[in-house]
Amino acid sequence: MTKENSSHKSAGFSRRTLLQAGAATVGAAAFPMPVIAQTKPFAGVTLRGASFQHRFFTLLQNYIPEFEAQTGMKVDLQLSAFPVYNQQANLELSSGGSAFDFVNVTFILAARWVAAGLLANLDEFTGDPNLTPAEWKPKDFVEGAQVPYRDAKGATYGYSWEGGAMVMGLSRMDLMEKKGLKIPKTFAELQEVCAAINGTDGVTGLVSFQLHHWCLPPYIQGFGGNIFRNPPADIMPALNSPEAIQAIEFYANLLKNYAPKGVLTYTEDQARQALLTGRSNIFIHSSAWITPILLSNESKVKDTSRVVRMPAGPVRDFPAANSQGLGIPKNAKNKKAAWEFIKWALSPEISMRLVKEHGHSSVCRKSVIESEEYRRLNTVNGQDLGALYLEVLGLPAKGENYMAYRTVKEFPIVGDVLNKAFEQVATGQLAAPAAMNAAQEQAVANMRRAGTAL
Amino acid sequence: MSGKGLVDAERRRFNRLALAPSLIVLFVIAGLPAIYLVVASLTPFQLVNPGSSTDFSAPLRNYRLLPDDPRFVNSLWVQAKLSFWGVLFQVLLGMLLALLLHTQSRVVEFARTFFLIPMVLPPIVVAIIWKLIYTPDISPLYYAAGLLNIAMPSLTSSVDFALTAIIIADTWEWMPFTFLMVLAALQTIPDEFSEAALVDGANRLQIFFYITLPFITPILVISGMFRLIDSVKAFPLVFLLTGGGPGSVTEVTNYYAYLLAFDFNEIGYSSAVTIVMLLLVVAVSLGVVWMGRRREAME
Repeated sequence: MTKENSSHKSAGFSRRTLLQAGAATVGAAAFPMPVIAQTKPFAGVTLRGASFQHRFFTLLQNYIPEFEAQTGMKVDLQLSAFPVYNQQANLELSSGGSAFDFVNVTFILAARWVAAGLLANLDEFTGDPNLTPAEWKPKDFVEGAQVPYRDAKGATYGYSWEGGAMVMGLSRMDLMEKKGLKIPKTFAELQEVCAAINGTDGVTGLVSFQLHHWCLPPYIQGFGGNIFRNPPADIMPALNSPEAIQAIEFYANLLKNYAPKGVLTYTEDQARQALLTGRSNIFIHSSAWITPILLSNESKVKDTSRVVRMPAGPVRDFPAANSQGLGIPKNAKNKKAAWEFIKWALSPEISMRLVKEHGHSSVCRKSVIESEEYRRLNTVNGQDLGALYLEVLGLPAKGENYMAYRTVKEFPIVGDVLNKAFEQVATGQLAAPAAMNAAQEQAVANMRRAGTAL
Repeated sequence: MSGKGLVDAERRRFNRLALAPSLIVLFVIAGLPAIYLVVASLTPFQLVNPGSSTDFSAPLRNYRLLPDDPRFVNSLWVQAKLSFWGVLFQVLLGMLLALLLHTQSRVVEFARTFFLIPMVLPPIVVAIIWKLIYTPDISPLYYAAGLLNIAMPSLTSSVDFALTAIIIADTWEWMPFTFLMVLAALQTIPDEFSEAALVDGANRLQIFFYITLPFITPILVISGMFRLIDSVKAFPLVFLLTGGGPGSVTEVTNYYAYLLAFDFNEIGYSSAVTIVMLLLVVAVSLGVVWMGRRREAME
């Protein structure tokens, strides 16, 4: 034995030992997955999802690494601008593609996608105790927010991650008090307050934005009309009813006389800024856009603001409610993994963390919204914003579903015509009766062209 | 066959072979989509009803519906107004600018480069710039008007000004094109003509009308025609500044086709609208080619 060999022996390993150890290391590095996979059933799966850019997903991305660690799957979430996402998802789903495992079911497209059978029935997942534990509670979602994701038979194709409840924000209560004005509770009072405040201290009476087919229907319904005759059963447009004409005149006068210049082209952001800086006194829109006057650090009017239910028309108030949901495309490759993600993202735990850690209050879990913690965080200047949010969001599910017009898959066609008609009235191109008669004719023609039997 | 005939045949064969790759690529990237567009226009294809893409039961239905669609007819009219006024201003102002800057000096050379900037900006950037200018809350234009106590209407939501607002933005973006073309033409005019005219007692205006204008007229016509074809692509400005509104005041045909396809899912009908638009552009393009050939023949 040479001196060298002797020194190897004394070190405790030979060339053979070294080779064996090396082989074992390479083997362990090459085949670790089955061992890990025993505890992580989705190990190796890459889950592809898509949505439009929204604060919910930006916040959720902070937690996704935890989900990936728990399940072993990798989440590839693609976020695009709202119109870009909608077009892409519409094309993808309509062409039967399988590029995405989960998608955002955009409110305005939900009815179309559900009716066309482009999404997987989620009842198959919630109904299987192996896939969904009882404590996940599908019925814990706010009823009003779930309506768009159900078909005529009541099957569920999406679960909501955000609810939009239309409320009224008032930014300059100080001015109103000086003038002896109270919070308007009727359309007539709304007009009076707008007239009284407009121009005072450089403040406009109210502000709105360019999606008139979202802002206008509560006025039409408040006067006793609707977008369709009796949706979803009878979808003959009802745009030229006397009530609809009265509503469009009323709303056009509000914008013409008491809103900032160029309000017809305002985006939601512009309108929100006008409210948060106190340049406009009233803004009626989804709570997520209004409550920042009380909650956001950007708000310059925290001390002089109120958030309340929108005024009622001669019939009553019909504040619009909407929601955004998560669903699984019918042809998705990884449906079970996608459901695992949806289950996690919309779990009560994650919803509560979003509220507590990020102040994101527009979640749809009743148990969270009704919790003490939520109430404590969302009560500002004595106003319980959570209670208001829940109250408005739940309204369509009580009695008649007045938001049914939004679940009609032909709504985008009629909504676009309504938008055009409103702009024609607001800019003085046509009188309200002429504009709405033309709109009715055009809506019927467009629906027939698109193959709708009326 | 004679030797010359054989050579000619070989040359033709070689030419065909040499052209083949380009023609194949052209067919794949331009021909196939166009054919698909025509095929889709013969169906009631709706995105949410994939089966409708192969329904050829009433192939001319979409085309029959077009004349009775008021929004389509209006969109053609809006497009015509936008194109006419846009091209007119671009040609006139581009020519005036070229005449002004047709001198030799360092400052003028710098100014020439400066004036070309709008043309090289991406269209969406141009639209954003003008969105800022036209938004009353943040616009320096409105701020200045406010200082002078001038009440300006909101240009993009006013029936009287919305289309004008788009024409102004389009002119700002594309006037440099005409400017560049005319400047190049001006630099080819021999100085002797104007010098002789000056000796004969002609004034500047007479020199412009009798010497300069005849020289640059073909360029003005050609650049006008090019701009006319290109004016159909004013989509980003309409999309971002007015969204086709107020009402349908600024809804041009390509924007309407976009709404039909992506908002209403009516791919078949949208394809028919696009085909009609395409035919109109082809007609104008043939006009350009014809004018070019006529000019060559005259020379």
